[in-house]
Amino acid sequence: MNILPEGRITPRELQRSGVKAVLDKMRRTQGYYLTNTERDLSQSDFKNRIMPHTQILVAPERNAAGYFSLEITGGASVHVDLLRKQMNPLEKLEVLSGHMPDTLFQTLCRGINLFGYRPYPENVIRLTVETFARHVHVWRVFDFLNYIPNMIPVYEEVKKAGRILEAAVCFSTGPEHTNRFYVKKVGEILDVTGPDILLAIKNHGGLGSPGRIGELVRAILQKYPDLLIHYHGHNTDGNEIGRIVAAVQNGAKIVDASDHALTGFYGPPPLLTVVNTLEDYGYPAVGLDKQAVINASNKLRHERPYYRDFESQFFGFDPTVQTHKLPGGATGSSFEQAQKGGFLDRMPEILQNELPRVQIELGNFWSVTPGSQILWTTAANNVVKGARYRDPSDDLKNLMLERYGKFPFYKPAPEIYEAVFGRDWKKIVRREAGYQKIEDVDLDVERRILEHAIGRKATDDELVLYLQHPNDAVGFFKFEEKFGKTWVLPPKVWFRRGGFGIGDKFEFPDVTGKLHTIEIGPSRRTKDGSYMTHLGIDYHPEPVVTPAESEGEKPKAPVALTAKEIGALARMGDIRATLKGIVNQIPVAVGDEVGVGDTLVVLEAMKMLTNIVSDVDGKVSEIFSSPGASVETGDKLMVIEI
Amino acid sequence: MARKGFMKKIRKVLVANRGEIALRIIRTVKEMGLDTVAVYEKPDSEAYFLRFADQAILIGEGPRRDYLNIDKIIWAAQKSGADAIHPGYGFLSENPELAAACEESDIVFIGPPPRVIRDLGNKVVARKIMEKAAIPFVPGTGTLSAGDAGLAEAVAFGKTCGYPIMLKALAGGGGRGIRKIEGEEELRSQLPQARSEARSAFNDDRIYIEKCVESPRHVEVQILADAHGHVMHLGTRDCSIQRRHQKLLEIAPADLPKNVLDAMHRTAIQAAREAGYVNAGTVEFLVDPKTNEFWFMEVNTRLQVEHTVTEILTGIDLIRQQILMAEGETLDIPEERIHLVGKAIQVRINAEDPKNNFMPEGGKRVEVYQSPGGPEIRLDGIVYQGYKIPTDYDSLLVKLTVRGYSWQQTIQRLKRALKDFLIVGPKTTIPFYLAICDDKDFRNGCFTTDYLDAHSELFNYPEPEREIAKLSKLIAEIHSRKINPYAY
Repeated sequence: MNILPEGRITPRELQRSGVKAVLDKMRRTQGYYLTNTERDLSQSDFKNRIMPHTQILVAPERNAAGYFSLEITGGASVHVDLLRKQMNPLEKLEVLSGHMPDTLFQTLCRGINLFGYRPYPENVIRLTVETFARHVHVWRVFDFLNYIPNMIPVYEEVKKAGRILEAAVCFSTGPEHTNRFYVKKVGEILDVTGPDILLAIKNHGGLGSPGRIGELVRAILQKYPDLLIHYHGHNTDGNEIGRIVAAVQNGAKIVDASDHALTGFYGPPPLLTVVNTLEDYGYPAVGLDKQAVINASNKLRHERPYYRDFESQFFGFDPTVQTHKLPGGATGSSFEQAQKGGFLDRMPEILQNELPRVQIELGNFWSVTPGSQILWTTAANNVVKGARYRDPSDDLKNLMLERYGKFPFYKPAPEIYEAVFGRDWKKIVRREAGYQKIEDVDLDVERRILEHAIGRKATDDELVLYLQHPNDAVGFFKFEEKFGKTWVLPPKVWFRRGGFGIGDKFEFPDVTGKLHTIEIGPSRRTKDGSYMTHLGIDYHPEPVVTPAESEGEKPKAPVALTAKEIGALARMGDIRATLKGIVNQIPVAVGDEVGVGDTLVVLEAMKMLTNIVSDVDGKVSEIFSSPGASVETGDKLMVIEI
Repeated sequence: MARKGFMKKIRKVLVANRGEIALRIIRTVKEMGLDTVAVYEKPDSEAYFLRFADQAILIGEGPRRDYLNIDKIIWAAQKSGADAIHPGYGFLSENPELAAACEESDIVFIGPPPRVIRDLGNKVVARKIMEKAAIPFVPGTGTLSAGDAGLAEAVAFGKTCGYPIMLKALAGGGGRGIRKIEGEEELRSQLPQARSEARSAFNDDRIYIEKCVESPRHVEVQILADAHGHVMHLGTRDCSIQRRHQKLLEIAPADLPKNVLDAMHRTAIQAAREAGYVNAGTVEFLVDPKTNEFWFMEVNTRLQVEHTVTEILTGIDLIRQQILMAEGETLDIPEERIHLVGKAIQVRINAEDPKNNFMPEGGKRVEVYQSPGGPEIRLDGIVYQGYKIPTDYDSLLVKLTVRGYSWQQTIQRLKRALKDFLIVGPKTTIPFYLAICDDKDFRNGCFTTDYLDAHSELFNYPEPEREIAKLSKLIAEIHSRKINPYAY
């Protein structure tokens, strides 16, 4: 085993000495630590797309680099692992930890929302944390309302598992966001967790000036001098290094950055630049091997082109984030939505005027998942529909009913409630407001449903994944049964577009370590529409049949319906997808009588549910989609006979 | 056939068979510097063995008709100028009429004389011959009289000998025409049925009865006999692992104490002598696994499917010996030449689904075929990449024979060789054999003819799935759809 630099924390040490001893060692150690936030790389789809093949490729260098931790799971990545990488997120961690035995793994957990977008039952939360804690050593836990009860079950399970709890306070700016407020919030957290935690300042938007961040860190440490502060921010406005320097100068012990070859727009700043800058200020990075950091990026640079399709479409920096406060992830997808929805020209208006206004109106809470999506959707709707707070989303209603937790500063004004809930808003609020406690699910029943869906026994891990994202987990299990462990494939195969060339050849070991070679040979379409590809598998020709796509291989006609057109069609009973997303639920069936205001289809997009409600009375005559299907804006979903 | 003192050099051998055994015979015939003639039915036009013969003659539309047509075989021999016929196993191999027809046409039949085939093919005659030589027999009856008299004889036998007993068709063999009876009532109802079945299967409804030895082992002795009165044995084979009396896996030599083996060898030689046997043959015995007592069952007057285990163990080419014996040569393999060192196993790799009652995979194409190699591995097969499993003939792809020094090493070698096969397309018996290789009783050498009935869990083996085949499916899909639908 290599001799590791003094001060570096390893999984073995955590296992052996426990959380308190490890934190005490960090308190004693001169200098600051760095977390590589790969999971948060650049704020677009890109960050969650990095394939295990790439992560394994660069694992030796990253393991040698000596980060405090590697943030490699959590957030949306669990979902993307299942949905788009077709890899078991738990297996990913197990495989990677085998390649990086000296590095702590970190996750981002959305409190009661876990790795999803909506609250989970407490027994699911506990089981999930217990399961992921096998591989995850550091748990950053946050809530978009900084509402502590939403985080307590996770806190407890992390502690029970002997892992490092990093309780986060989300940070934002505005008159309410004072040092006093945050110091008090930290105190409330410490009351619950006790002193042996890390405290994260989660500045997901990259808000505030360096001075503001430095001052906040100082204020917290003044009250709690032994607290280890992990400052997290984004380079959205280009000034993140300034904030990091201020944080460390004022006593933050850990900061976030990432590989310079992978990070970029809206991501964390380049790790090496942070290290060099702080070195100049007299702050050494504990345990860090600069050459290993450089080597990692030298390798990654060659891989990045394979991920081109997922790079953010919007380049450059965005200092106006200080106004709209939308975190990078939401910014990327909001532009995408605007482009598809045909209101790109209204983005400046939405971001610079409407969104800040909505934010104030709705209580100036933290624009982070799922709050950022609620804010954005509401602001965009307000502008696009030309009427404010019309057709509010369920999530907005739940938020205003304080089902997700209490508003941190103030409730929206009565006129907002009236706009959202109608004239009878008082009655509705009186009747329905209050914290929504999610009932525990019967895990045995869930297991049986899962086993029915996959037609075999399910493992405990599979149940946990199913409980996160039922449809996509089942889809993944079926995929894996058919195609095996495809995460061994290099990105140049996985992301190949336009087909391969004859003679293209790939070498890779399968999951058992057996080396294989695949060479692409000629292919042809057979009479039944299926496709026969002759592959040279380990130097033996083998024909492989790809069945014809069930709905035929006709390319989807590009639909460019505007919101207005979709609305007009809806009034004629032709129900179209109002946005690009996934069908979450279709609560009606063919033959059902429906009336104005009835929910016809529930779409999921940008981590939020949107109801498509009927504008007409009639009878459902045809349904063209099903739960789990992805739809584009304007896709036909349903016909209602009026 | 060769009469005593009569010598005839063979120049050209017609192989009156198909598939792997035709190829097996052709190989030796060629090694002896002789010409080979293959015959075939039309559905076999693509057959692999035809490519190895010097000449191939179409004998009819088939299927399974012309291979059984003696006139056509003789015609083909005469047409091609073949002066000898090797019948292989199955088809006409134990039909005395072919041997007789050869004699008449002055063609050497590579096998025993017609009289021997006829005598030993008749269970009752065979029994009489063996009784004369005091060969131990499972207690039994002669041919039962027709009608109720026969039933009365059967009931009387059941009373004296006790149940269970076996009803056997006189014309049966190879496991066919046999049924087990547990009591008198069953006997009364089953006997007429057994008769009518025998009538339709063999056109001969004669039945005899034997005491049923429960869970016996099936052990046979390979013998060679020349026309000059020399008989020798080439050791034993254990064929206990069977499925409904069809052998699946054979082992040489049988795991029995030396004194038992010696006694069995002596008995087999004596039986051959008594029958006036010439050429290669197999004397089959039932063995009581508890007492190692053994009883004569029958003589197979032909080459066996499992002759390979004897060959790999002894190094003696049985087909070469058959040809020499047929030419009238004197058996001159010195006793010390026969060493039975190590253990050999043969498995029949069939395109069948063991889980579905060994249903043949007829019509499927072998997309990929890769075979094992290395030390002490022998393959006798007719499969190749692109081979289509026939619907008209058997589904045997290849016989795998392995030899090792010890039993454990042999099993490990068998496992290794089975795993090194890559057969894509049809299901095969390979995973089933792999399950047997891992079975504790098999590894401990504990198996009788009940083995499969007692080990139904062997059929729970996982379907073999190549990880790379699955990945290839995805790569082909990414290629044909021009995008990875699971990533975008």
